[in-house]
Amino acid sequence: MGTMSRLLNRPLKAFALYALIILVISIPVYVLVIDYIWTSELDENNWLTLQHTKQRLQSKQFTQAEIENINHIWGELQPGVSIIKVDRKISFKDSIYEAIRPNEFDEDDGEDRFRGLKTFVELNGEPYILTIETNVEESDETFAAVAGITLLFFIILFIGFILLNRRIATKTWQPFYATLRSLQSFELSKDSSVHLPSSDIQEFQELNQSLLHLIKSNVNDYQQQKSFTENASHELQTPIALLKSKMDLLIQQKDISPEISELLNSIEAPLSRLSRINKNLLLLVKVENYQYSDQEQLDVKEHLDSTISLFEDYLNEKQLQLSNQVKEAIVVNANSFLVETLIQNLLSNSIRHTSKGGQIAISSNGKSLIVMNTGKESLDQSRLFERFSNTTKGKVSSGLGLAIIREIANKYGWQVGYSFENGFHIFTVEF
Amino acid sequence: MKILIIEDEQELANDMVKYLTNEQYLCECASDFHAAMEKVYGHDYDCILLDLMLPGGDGLTILEELKRLKKQDGVIIISAKNAIDDKVKGLKLGADDYLAKPFHQAELAARVESLIRRKQFDSNNLIVQNELSIDINAKAVTVNDQPLNLTKKEYNLLLFFIGNKNRVLSKGALAEHLSGDFADMFESHDFVYAHVKNLKRKLKEKDYGDYLKTIYGTGYKWER
Repeated sequence: MGTMSRLLNRPLKAFALYALIILVISIPVYVLVIDYIWTSELDENNWLTLQHTKQRLQSKQFTQAEIENINHIWGELQPGVSIIKVDRKISFKDSIYEAIRPNEFDEDDGEDRFRGLKTFVELNGEPYILTIETNVEESDETFAAVAGITLLFFIILFIGFILLNRRIATKTWQPFYATLRSLQSFELSKDSSVHLPSSDIQEFQELNQSLLHLIKSNVNDYQQQKSFTENASHELQTPIALLKSKMDLLIQQKDISPEISELLNSIEAPLSRLSRINKNLLLLVKVENYQYSDQEQLDVKEHLDSTISLFEDYLNEKQLQLSNQVKEAIVVNANSFLVETLIQNLLSNSIRHTSKGGQIAISSNGKSLIVMNTGKESLDQSRLFERFSNTTKGKVSSGLGLAIIREIANKYGWQVGYSFENGFHIFTVEF
Repeated sequence: MKILIIEDEQELANDMVKYLTNEQYLCECASDFHAAMEKVYGHDYDCILLDLMLPGGDGLTILEELKRLKKQDGVIIISAKNAIDDKVKGLKLGADDYLAKPFHQAELAARVESLIRRKQFDSNNLIVQNELSIDINAKAVTVNDQPLNLTKKEYNLLLFFIGNKNRVLSKGALAEHLSGDFADMFESHDFVYAHVKNLKRKLKEKDYGDYLKTIYGTGYKWER
């Protein structure tokens, strides 16, 4: 995709670039046109002056000495103008020439451009060449002036583009950006509908309608899926309760053979796993449904300490070394049951997944809780907190513990993180 | 002692009756709101096991009615809702205990026993069994007038056994009693062996009879 730019900056860039190219091309064209007009006007002017002078000279019948005198005075008064006698009597056409030479009146830059016209004139039967010159603007000066003006206009044009663009953005594209903001703040798990502003622009209206349609069907699917989970786990509750109850009655039977008691014993583990999965599904549904809305100020450390003592037997059984470095209170505003559930899941997860004789370290930095436990290799981070993503074979796991942790954290806007460093799984909750 | 089981799931109610009924307890059942109200109005019970979701009405209304009538019946809420709000509300309305479904019958029996004991003995709450006596208020155990030093967990186990006399208790039920609802998060409950072993040893040291029996493969039983 390359670098990202805003929608309206794309045409702005293109317009600005196009304008720049056109204006740059226009500079030499202007210069050539101006130069052409300049020179043709001057040539005409020179020609007129020359014709006029020629006529006057021919009509006055000057002597040769007088003509030389005129040439001298004339040349003194206006440099570049001369009337010179030629030896050979050749008639030639008027000729235009251009010369660059120093201009004594111009002290800024030494040289100027001159446009001259030569013509042949016969005075007293003698051939003379009459020359007239006029100062003409150099084309590089014209170029500089045109380029400067063009640049100025380009800047004005560009500023105009930006201002217009902003105006269009705020006015015309306003419904688009409003829709975008609505979509950005929309969460499938929280909002049941989304408000998109209406617009009098057809495309935006169509976009909004398509989006509303899409969102509506998604929300429906989501709600259905959620209520399916809820209903399913509710329905499962009674049979599970009955199974558990029947098991309790069954083991009361007298004269149970060793084979049967072995079987009964092996039913207990899957039964309690079933029960746990169902409990956790119900819990997830309830957290999603915004139950447990009661909040109070509570200390995470207190829940942590009581959970550790509750799980003491399991720690001892696996000979796990637990070091709890949480010394200061971590005060949060949340539902007590959910905080307890979060910590119990976090800790039981570590206990279950640490092999015998391993280590668990719990620490905090004031606003977070860090639970580390020894492990062999990093877990798949992308799916770690998903439901049933990490169900380990042969372990009593509901596959929902981490999903519950994330769901509870999401509810309060806490950050849950996982990393693997130096042989430790590290789970972090930022309150 | 009379126990009223208000539970709409007939099978579960029957199981509770089967498990709880013994020489001490007499159980009655009500499977909907109106039957329950009738029984509550007409009789006094030592303990009422109250399911909150009932056909015909809310279990909490029955609780409110009991309190309005100033009845002394002990109430244990047993709810499938497992909603903390219900628990808090129920206990606030004057229920004595709360047990979430699914539960072990042994846990229920122990809770019933404990509740009835509390209701019967206000100040001098003493359990005497042969040479063993337990002062519930002081949490002190003596055998042949000699003090028996038990850890908190061993003490809890002892009470649990006494509340389930002559019944086989599974390892799972014992683990759940000791570690709470979360016991089913763990694959092994071998620590139960260690606690029971220690309890047995301590009782034996004080020359208490061998009442605590290991039932092969299934669990333990307190025989008397």
